[in-house]
Amino acid sequence: MQSTIDMDDLHRNIQSARKAVEELKRLGEDFPAVARNAERMLASLKMLEINVSDVIEMEGIDPGDS
Amino acid sequence: MNYSQPYWNPILETLPPETLRALQLKKFQRIFRWAYTHSKFHRALYQAAGVAPEDIRTLDDIRRVPTVEKSMMRQIQGKDPYPYGDALCVPLEEVSVYRQTSGTTGQPVYQPDTWQDWEWWAECWCYILWAQGYRPSDRVFIPFGYNVFVAFWAGHYAAEKLGCEVVPGGVLDTKARILKVQELRATALMGTPTYILSMAETARLKMGIDPSRLSVNKITCAGECGASIPSTKRRLEEAWGANVYDHAGATEIGAWSYECAAQPGGLHVNEAMFLVEIIDPETGQTIEEAGRRGKMVITAFDRQAQPCVRFDSKDVIEWAAEPCACGRSFRLIRGGVVGRADDITKVKGVLIAPSAIEEVVRGIKGLGDEYEVVVDKTGDTETIRLRVELLPEAQDQCAWIQSELEDQLRLKTNLRYDLEICGCGSLPRYEVKAKRFKDLRGKKSE
Repeated sequence: MQSTIDMDDLHRNIQSARKAVEELKRLGEDFPAVARNAERMLASLKMLEINVSDVIEMEGIDPGDS
Repeated sequence: MNYSQPYWNPILETLPPETLRALQLKKFQRIFRWAYTHSKFHRALYQAAGVAPEDIRTLDDIRRVPTVEKSMMRQIQGKDPYPYGDALCVPLEEVSVYRQTSGTTGQPVYQPDTWQDWEWWAECWCYILWAQGYRPSDRVFIPFGYNVFVAFWAGHYAAEKLGCEVVPGGVLDTKARILKVQELRATALMGTPTYILSMAETARLKMGIDPSRLSVNKITCAGECGASIPSTKRRLEEAWGANVYDHAGATEIGAWSYECAAQPGGLHVNEAMFLVEIIDPETGQTIEEAGRRGKMVITAFDRQAQPCVRFDSKDVIEWAAEPCACGRSFRLIRGGVVGRADDITKVKGVLIAPSAIEEVVRGIKGLGDEYEVVVDKTGDTETIRLRVELLPEAQDQCAWIQSELEDQLRLKTNLRYDLEICGCGSLPRYEVKAKRFKDLRGKKSE
């Protein structure tokens, strides 16, 4: 089951989502409905990073190497 | 989506141990640096010990970091930034949730969380619930009094997050809750073992409802160690006709452990989110081998508003010898949280954990679920009194039960007790955490 999970691809998509949501937050500076929803999305993105990106970002460690 | 996937996180939960340790080191370095940089309280503590973020290069270096105790948190609170004091790592306006500890061991400790922390709480609970078989088809009834204690709040949000239908059973009495479980055909419950047993008793004795014939098929217990005590787990499972799973967490820490569907007789530590160290209370050395009890020192890697770095929880635990059949590489603690270092006390020179008494009482048919232990001292003589309830249907077996109780207690705890066999319903009932162990030694003047 693990072999079907592409962690690098997941990580790349999380990074681009973060970029997009940070930009939304910036654009929503005078638009509370945008800024606060973007803030919540960033918290959810952090959970994706905890689940995926943290292990990918460790130098020299392949999470699929089991 | 594949609902038969057994792991909430199929990568982290099966990481090879050496990769897991490397991840833990990296995450410890990150949270330690965060606490050092953002919390005056933590920085002062670490500077006094002469340890800085750049000193943490290996897992062994972590032992140089001083532990934090609940009493220290109590001292800094009530000051600015009010009411949390100097351990707060974010501006007050970023705190979105207030909770506090239950106060079982003294003045409650305040716990601030940002929205990200709250997401993290729920995320930790998702590992628990998924491992215990919760899926979007479940209707989860949560019979707890939604208030300032964290209790099952995060379980509620986690169940929503993984797609379950959640029924908050807050301001309802026990009978109304049972009727709601029946009416809605709830498939899962969350509660303390004490309260889940008490619900079953109310259903059976006061409402004529057999809880095992309701639709509940799984129950997650927390707040007390009962669901890891074999005789209590058996009673819970028989009463409800459901699988009962344990989970241990704490307000200041987070939801750090869970029993999986394999019911291995212990709890997995979520080692991707927490670092658990078992410390020998006598020597202060770390215990790595299985089967040796010590107190837990724990770090939550991703909690930011009020970090939990090497928190001395006083929970008594031990590593299991064997890995779990479920395939998770997260290590198991055998028998769950065995007790609290504060509760494990010497009586007549013998170390005793209240959980050992519970295992005996609930292992004897004919005795009710409730019991009370009172340790006292008159002159130089220590006494330990155990009060239990005899079920109405076991009245004619009273002598046999008393004898069995004496034998089992002697065998399992190596102590002689003054036994008091009471009528059913005469001992106190509890809705959240029970207080069944009373040590009156040295308290006569109060």
